[in-house]
Amino acid sequence: MTPAASGEAPAVPHRLIGARVPLVDASLKVTGRAEYTDDLRRPNLLVGRILKSVHPHARIRKIDVTEARKVPGVAAVLTGDRYPRTFGVLPMTHDETALAVDRVRYIGEGVVAVAAVDEETCERAFARIRVEYEPLPVYDDPKVSRNPVAVKIHERALRDTNLQKEVFQHFGDLPGAWRAAAHSVRVSARYAGVTHAFTEPHAVLAEYSPDGRLTVWSATQVPHYLHRALSEVLDLPMHRIRVIKPEVGGGFGGKSDPFPHEIACAALAMETGRPVKIVFDRDDVFYTNHGRHPTWNTVGIAADALGRFTALDVEALLDGGAWSSFGTVTTYYNGVLAMGPYQFPNFRYHGARAYTNHPPSGAMRAHGGTNIRYSVEVAVDMLAEEMGWDPTELRLRNFLPPHSTTVNEFRITSNSVRQCLLAARERSGWREKFRALPYGQGIGIACGFYISGSNSPIHFTPKFPQCTVHLKVDMDGGVTVHCGAADIGQGSKTILAQVVGEVLGIPLDRIRIAAVDSDTAPIDIGSYSSRVTFMMGNAAKRAAEDLRRQLVQAASDLTGYARESLECGGDRIYVRHRPQVGVSFLEAVHRAMEHTGALHASGSYESAPMGGTFKGARAGTAPAYSFSAYAAEVEVDVETGFVRVRKVWAGFDCGRPLNPQSVEGQIEGSIHMGLGQLLSESLNYRGPRLMNPSLLDYKIVMPQDMPEVECLLVGEDDPEGPFGAKEAGEGPLIPVLPAVGNALYDALGVRFLDLPITPDKVLRALEEKERREGRLSKPAPPAVMPVPAGGTDHAPR
Amino acid sequence: MHLDEFQLHQPESLPEAISLAREFAGQFDYLAGGTDLLPNYKMHLNPRPHLISLDAIPELHRFSPDQGDLGAMVRLREMEGSAGLASRYPAVAQAAREVATPLVRASGTLGGNLLVETRCFFFNQSYFWRQSLGFCLKADGDRCHVVPQKEKCYATFSGDLAPALMALDARVRLMGPEGTREIPLTDLYPRDGDGIRRTSLRAGEVLEGVTLPPPVQGLRSIYLKLRVRPSYDFPELGVAVALCQDGGRVSHLRVALGGLEMVPRRMDALTDPLVGSQLTGESLRALGEAIRSAVRPVHNTFLAPDYRRKMTAVLVRRAVRSLTEGS
Ligand SMILES: Cc1cc2nc3c(=O)[nH]c(=O)nc-3n(C[C@H](O)[C@H](O)[C@H](O)COP(=O)(O)OP(=O)(O)OC[C@H]3O[C@@H](n4cnc5c(N)ncnc54)[C@H](O)[C@@H]3O)c2cc1C
Ligand code: SF4
Repeated sequence: MTPAASGEAPAVPHRLIGARVPLVDASLKVTGRAEYTDDLRRPNLLVGRILKSVHPHARIRKIDVTEARKVPGVAAVLTGDRYPRTFGVLPMTHDETALAVDRVRYIGEGVVAVAAVDEETCERAFARIRVEYEPLPVYDDPKVSRNPVAVKIHERALRDTNLQKEVFQHFGDLPGAWRAAAHSVRVSARYAGVTHAFTEPHAVLAEYSPDGRLTVWSATQVPHYLHRALSEVLDLPMHRIRVIKPEVGGGFGGKSDPFPHEIACAALAMETGRPVKIVFDRDDVFYTNHGRHPTWNTVGIAADALGRFTALDVEALLDGGAWSSFGTVTTYYNGVLAMGPYQFPNFRYHGARAYTNHPPSGAMRAHGGTNIRYSVEVAVDMLAEEMGWDPTELRLRNFLPPHSTTVNEFRITSNSVRQCLLAARERSGWREKFRALPYGQGIGIACGFYISGSNSPIHFTPKFPQCTVHLKVDMDGGVTVHCGAADIGQGSKTILAQVVGEVLGIPLDRIRIAAVDSDTAPIDIGSYSSRVTFMMGNAAKRAAEDLRRQLVQAASDLTGYARESLECGGDRIYVRHRPQVGVSFLEAVHRAMEHTGALHASGSYESAPMGGTFKGARAGTAPAYSFSAYAAEVEVDVETGFVRVRKVWAGFDCGRPLNPQSVEGQIEGSIHMGLGQLLSESLNYRGPRLMNPSLLDYKIVMPQDMPEVECLLVGEDDPEGPFGAKEAGEGPLIPVLPAVGNALYDALGVRFLDLPITPDKVLRALEEKERREGRLSKPAPPAVMPVPAGGTDHAPR
Repeated sequence: MHLDEFQLHQPESLPEAISLAREFAGQFDYLAGGTDLLPNYKMHLNPRPHLISLDAIPELHRFSPDQGDLGAMVRLREMEGSAGLASRYPAVAQAAREVATPLVRASGTLGGNLLVETRCFFFNQSYFWRQSLGFCLKADGDRCHVVPQKEKCYATFSGDLAPALMALDARVRLMGPEGTREIPLTDLYPRDGDGIRRTSLRAGEVLEGVTLPPPVQGLRSIYLKLRVRPSYDFPELGVAVALCQDGGRVSHLRVALGGLEMVPRRMDALTDPLVGSQLTGESLRALGEAIRSAVRPVHNTFLAPDYRRKMTAVLVRRAVRSLTEGS
């Protein structure tokens, strides 16, 4: 530390915040030392397996497990009647049970759980279980489920249909705006279901000890909801249940519900008094699904003669599969997240989610915001073409300004979508390429936004903050961080360490992130809705500030300088204007612990009240939103229909990137995932039956197909985010699908409205176009091209 | 998913292997790299109680591309990296490189690739899945879900090497309880079978190795593969072409297809008439179309059959064109 020459307090630059810090657990993971649930061993461990339903919809007449119980090596055989209490991630829609009770609702639903000495013995037991089924009518099409049906999949379905949820919203005067519009377009699109395809299959280990305590280790994104569900269904008080989250190999939303197999495993452990572990096979993961809903949607956009959007009209029908899961939220999101980065004075939404006899759909990365965004961004592109405008210009004219409110009363704070678009347009060479590349090559652009943490926790009672962080320091000078937020590979442990280290001015090696363990960690409501950096980051920052206050007091006592003149940094606490005067961090710790032997601090985060008062007003409200604009360049083999995405320019506003390396990783990973949904991934159902429950047949994108990605992190500091940060975990997925979709239109003159866009579909579309138009040609260039750099800003309304 | 218990035998010579085969007749499979067999065992697709590994038999590992002599246990990784193979029989080296993933190619062998189990999306499924639909002819059941009216299996031959080797007139040596024989590779794949017995291999026979005739002066060859993703995926179509031209006229032309029907096949009836003629855009287009209308894929793989047929014409054209262009 050199003293500032002027004698003025030097502005202390951030040391850890904004640095490209490798993930703190990276070395453990790349050397195979990190422990996942399947790595855990306990003495006398039993293997648990679940017998699945072979029927998509049937009444269970009888289950006979007598013979199975006699198989040598079998410790317990459990059926649904033992723990029939329903549960589900949302308190209002409990419709799942640990094992099927009286009825099965999809192929793959758990019917009987067995614990035995090994897997072979479990299967031997399965072979001796007799289940008598009485088949029921099968519903595999939400368009059928929305009408009156002969058999309701759940009694709680609406009226005499199989609808799980229906949403109507109307703001302003949509029909009036539509009549007055100078231009309008309508797009209908179809989206196959996709699933998370994370690396680590679901796994759970449970142990019930003689003192009446249950411990559950599980690959979960949301230890807290699991904790609650275990307590409710097993009828054990929460304080006798301990939930531990080991390392998790990815989740993407697919590990954010409390799952039947977790509860069944705990029940087997209670039944046998021995530890039981269930590890899913890959096909079990596919049947458990909870992936993105198969979706049908229609989007209408109207604009006035000046190119200002006047109305947005959205309809969506979702295939929810057999359970509710997050479905009520999904149904809202598919509408309320449609407006996105644009201003619409009039908005109407009709959304419905149907129960079917498919494996349940649920939350998946960029939950509820992906499919609708594709339709909206394609519609914007079409509107621009109809008006003869460059699509970037049309977007610039319609962006929501920062610090504004949407017609459905979302509070918008920081918003750099304009900078995202300008950066992507500039870097991609848009002006030279748009409508100008040879046939078969094209460029497209699309925008997006996403919630940075759902404002409303799923459970309101008791009224707790969304996240709390405890810090504990002992005489060794190590700072132990207790936090319930689940690092599932996204890097939240690293963010915790960076935030705490930044505030205290200490190196990362002083900071120990304790495992997520409900016995020691305060509550965090989980890794979903891109809330962790924002909420946990704020809680951690406050906890660290509390600790800093105590340490600065100690340093003040030691040095005799006033607290206000002290600064933390370089593992010391020193006098700001005389940096050579100070104490080491350890000296301050020891002083602070005198006579107490303890030093700890806490901080928490609770989002401000926001949103309107109408029904469903909370859905989609968030303390901040990320914004994005991507440009993508594609090349199509017009003889085979194969699409190659050459490059993506990813303009992204995550506020201040706390760890740019980590943000770029999220953007690249999101693009990989988004391209999968766009080009090759789909849950292929034939009737109720999933045809491709394997990673060979479910086609995630291979590394060779990854485009070059240029990340353009152009956000400004968010006023409420920790150090100005917002989310970067889900939002980055959204714009890549429509950017490539629009690029395909630029390349081929064909709109693709049926995802995934597999080569055979591309070829068929080209053949149809040629038949219709007699030739293959690019769309015409717009009359209004972007104004050269500098003069691009349209005054917002 | 777990493997059922089996007994592993590791003979160190071919006679030993064949006598084990005699002993466990009908109760065993030969095991090479296991990359095809063992995943199928995990799905309980016709598992057997005995496995006779061929790995410890030294002569099966021989690899002399310069003599056109390849032992059955040669790993795909060795083939893809061999400069000798690439210069004399480029289509074969290319096909080896296109199989699965580097990890699979490190274990997978030439023999296993030629004898790879045929594939169908009603067959390559877990026991549970097949149980939920009802088992099919090819394993545990008595009907076909693809062509229900026939008592026949239409699972697709999905090996990459076979078409490449066929296009180059490879022969295979087979050794069994009844002696040794050598047959053209094309004869290993009878077209009139029931689809369940997929090769003409006799009970207990080992595929001992492959011989390739020395390439005639000016022979060029290529293998093109259609699949959804550039690695991992089995062929939805594989096209191998071997071509020799003499002063602009075709002196030798072979087209072989895999990944399309129950067996790989060579299209001699359609290519022979072109020998002696000049290849034009028109004749090439006609060849592609003729081949397309001669093939009959069914819908049991990821991409639809009509698309795969169309691509047959495209890839045949592309393959031939790329061989004529450089010459
Ligand atoms: C994920 C994945 C992707 C794949 N993708 C491809 C692909 O793209 N293209 C492709 O062609 N294959 C693919 N395969 C299949 C397989 O890996 C390869 O075909 C490989 O070459 C098989 O060789 P192997 O030695 O492992 O055969 P094994 O599994 O050991 O044997 C296969 C069959 O051949 C028999 N056999 C093997 N050797 C002999 C012999 N010498 N004599 C008599 N019988 C014998 C066995 O009994 C068995 O029936 C893939 C496999 C996986 C798991
Ligand atoms: S083609 Fe028919 S018999 Fe053969 S594997 Fe497929 S479903 Fe079974």
